[in-house]
Amino acid sequence: MKISLNWLKEYVPNIKKNDIFVEELTSLGLEVSSIVKTKKDIMIDIDMTPNRADCLSIMGIARDISPIYKKKVSLPKYIKFIKSKESIFSNIDKKISSSYSVLVIKNIDNSVATPLFIQERLETCGLKKINLVVDVLNYVMLENGQPMHAFDNQKFTGKISVRYARKNEKLAALDGQNYNLTTDTPVISDDEKPQAIAGVIGSEGSSVSTKTKSIIIESAYFTPNIIRKSSKFFRLQTDASYRFERGVDPLLNKYSLGRVLAILKEHTSIGDYFLNHSSALKTAKHIGKSILIDFNLFESSLGIKISDSFIIQTLKYLGFNPEKKKTGLKVTVPSHRFDILIPEDLVEEVARVYGYNSFTPDLTSKSLDNIRNIENKTNDYSNLLVARGYNEVISFSFIPKGDQENHVSKSKIISIMNPISEDKAELRGSMVNSILNTCNYNFSRKNLNLKIFESGRTYIKHSDKKIIEENILAGAISGVNSESNLKNDQSKLSFFDLKGDLLSILPNLSFETHASISYLSKSCQAVIKQNNKIVGYCGEPNKALYSQYSIKNKIFYFELMIDKVVGIDSIKYKKISIFPKIKRDLTILVNDNILANDIIDAVERKSFNYMINIKISDIFYSKAEFGIGKKSITIEFIFQDKLSTLTDNQINDEMEKIISLLQSKHKAVVRT
Amino acid sequence: MSKNYTSLISELREKLKECKSPHDIANIKAYYLGKSGVVTNEFSKLKDASLEERKELGKSLNILKSQTQELITLELDNIQQTKENNDFTDVTLPGKNISMGSRHPISITINQIISILSNHGFTSVSGIEIEDEFHNFEALNIPDTHPARDMHDTFYVSDDKLLRTHTSSVQIRSMLSNKAPLKIMTPGKVYRCDSDPTHSPMFHQIEGLHIDKNVNFCHLKGVLINFIKEFFGKDMEIRFRPSYFPFTEPSAELDIKFKGKWLEVLGCGMVHPNVLSNVKINTKQYSGFAFGLGVERLAMLKYDIVDLRMFYENDISFLSQFKGLK
Repeated sequence: MKISLNWLKEYVPNIKKNDIFVEELTSLGLEVSSIVKTKKDIMIDIDMTPNRADCLSIMGIARDISPIYKKKVSLPKYIKFIKSKESIFSNIDKKISSSYSVLVIKNIDNSVATPLFIQERLETCGLKKINLVVDVLNYVMLENGQPMHAFDNQKFTGKISVRYARKNEKLAALDGQNYNLTTDTPVISDDEKPQAIAGVIGSEGSSVSTKTKSIIIESAYFTPNIIRKSSKFFRLQTDASYRFERGVDPLLNKYSLGRVLAILKEHTSIGDYFLNHSSALKTAKHIGKSILIDFNLFESSLGIKISDSFIIQTLKYLGFNPEKKKTGLKVTVPSHRFDILIPEDLVEEVARVYGYNSFTPDLTSKSLDNIRNIENKTNDYSNLLVARGYNEVISFSFIPKGDQENHVSKSKIISIMNPISEDKAELRGSMVNSILNTCNYNFSRKNLNLKIFESGRTYIKHSDKKIIEENILAGAISGVNSESNLKNDQSKLSFFDLKGDLLSILPNLSFETHASISYLSKSCQAVIKQNNKIVGYCGEPNKALYSQYSIKNKIFYFELMIDKVVGIDSIKYKKISIFPKIKRDLTILVNDNILANDIIDAVERKSFNYMINIKISDIFYSKAEFGIGKKSITIEFIFQDKLSTLTDNQINDEMEKIISLLQSKHKAVVRT
Repeated sequence: MSKNYTSLISELREKLKECKSPHDIANIKAYYLGKSGVVTNEFSKLKDASLEERKELGKSLNILKSQTQELITLELDNIQQTKENNDFTDVTLPGKNISMGSRHPISITINQIISILSNHGFTSVSGIEIEDEFHNFEALNIPDTHPARDMHDTFYVSDDKLLRTHTSSVQIRSMLSNKAPLKIMTPGKVYRCDSDPTHSPMFHQIEGLHIDKNVNFCHLKGVLINFIKEFFGKDMEIRFRPSYFPFTEPSAELDIKFKGKWLEVLGCGMVHPNVLSNVKINTKQYSGFAFGLGVERLAMLKYDIVDLRMFYENDISFLSQFKGLK
């Protein structure tokens, strides 16, 4: 909210240094966002928090700083009304407005120019000059926070009703728009039709111009929720609705009309006038409310002792009425404070005047004994991937509509009902979209050598509407293994680079051929297992995905279901043998459809004496030598005994057993 | 020394000149000074000489031997010196197979924050992102009609499910399941319908919550001032100012003075008694403080990043700049 410093100084004349004053406003919770010097004045823009409806006026702010400047705010002059016999009210719905006042002024000259000081102040506060009556209403609203609206009496048929709109009623409003009203819209109407959306905007037809001779000025308290709903419904926020939905002092409306009348009388000629007022027994819940507060609460909540007299003085300046009781205070809440409901609210009032920066920081708040920061495995694996050359990425959980329809079934996809844009319309059901999108982005920026990973969630809806969020560690590689460099060997990244990286972060993973992951290529995909449980998938994306993301470079993708992955934590030490390790190589010819793992598995399952390690050391194809469909595999075995040095014969015996196993099981032919 | 020996020495000199390695020198040493070496053989002639001759010859032979040894040692030193020079490693040549990747600046910032807060005794807790109205709003004292809901433009995925607008929902779930006392931090993704250079529809938050007996506002200040000074450096100027959140009372905002301007970095306050009652914690026994901060904002300040969108574009040229940080 923009305010004029000169105007404020009328209420707090002892403000001396402007910069200190600005700091004091912020320190009170009225955060100053900008200060602009105008010709004769200074405009201070305050970011008002939604709870401080009482500070949406010059007098409200003056009252809030009064405990610091020790200056009570006094009311400017106004005219008191006597009861009138004339009535202009037809039917006032007290649920919409529990306190409703109207001032009717006849024979007013509205062609008079608005006094200069009012024009200047309106301008400083960001309001446009319109005509005398409207300007004075705006001026008083800025002065004390009461929004008011003036109707042209001659364009008003019959009497005033405050009611909900009827079906098919419309309003051509002051902003030039036509609004279709609903039976939830609170309106101000004459005998024929609505003349305003209550508390939000008036109609163009009954608006006041310089030619207007007779006016109806409405000054009311509207139930905040009702105004908020209708302002939200029409997506229309006005200076009035902004205040009404936050809460305007319900006891202010009659006085404000008196204040308006006093100003108008001073600056133009007016004829007869009368006031009508309607009010419910209880205008708002907080009126007359009192709160009992124990003095100890200030210290136990704030951590330091604040003197009783400071507490009482502060509350008095802010408009509360504190009465001393045995152990504390009975505090009556003023009509302008909607936000004070519980003792803690009073603690804040005192604390902010005392100054948050005056409280001494205390580092002794005790830690709990049962603290155990759960090991964060995702973070550990992430750091290991980084050491293997991966860059971590973070993508939006949202993806464009349709992007995942080929690999996530429609019934499982979660859509955003109110997406911010079409490209953020669904939640991802798989990480593959996020990863490929990032690859594509980087390829288009000529970052061709990629090793990336992301730890994020996927979101899936099950048939019973249950939503599953799963933590996934996913990534991809593409390009060559390192930048070319005088001593580096550069080679194209392959599936086995990916597999090697994964085994470097989790040595107990196993990879099995797989063909049922729809978004991976049938010829290159694996299921990743740990202790025989599926923990992830990897391979090359299928053709459809390559073309969906217009990617031409080869990519290898992986994803691990991180909650299913278990780290290695129970290793038992085995005694180290001091006797020499002996290495043997075996080269065999087998059918091409026999996988490396089939051979290793066959041997490992049998457990041969002294054999402590087995690995594939070479694979070799030669059409000329062995024909199509055959391959030569070299297997490396390591033998070692715990008790003695092995003899050639001992090892030969075992090698023979192994050869005969591979002969019978995989029709292997030994090559020499 | 006899002429014979002089030629022997000059012959040795010639041979040494041709030596290229310590191994060559060793061969020469064996040739002259070995068991049946040239010099050793000369000594054997001593026993055939007459007594008079023997004295003279012995003297000459000793000189020959020491000269031979000296020349060989000298050349050996020479050769070793050269070898060392040739072995010199130019340590400024590039290293091999460097493959350092990088953590995302958001992860780095989260890790730093978590590490500082763990030292204050906070335990990290995570929770679901697709929430319901109760855990995201109502339990936090934000009723449907509250103007504060304007501050949270919410994404809905169904009539009763929404994307959490803050990680406070995790605090509610923790308080409901663990009861007091409690000291937790909740890092995670949050979502709001907002998109411009300073707002992203998805961003990261960390909130802290400490519930125990006799926890007060000064404790809140202690933890947060310490946190900011550890994160930004101990000279950082800090101020607290009153603010408004439906779930705290009193509520405050913490500003830091950054390049001469006050910037808001986190919101905090004493947990509102309504929130504690909503999760069935006895407000007569327990009180607590809570705070929440935006990770992106802290990362932008710390790393001088101006455009929020950089974080989610994932350009490798951007990400690689954070090499070495965890």
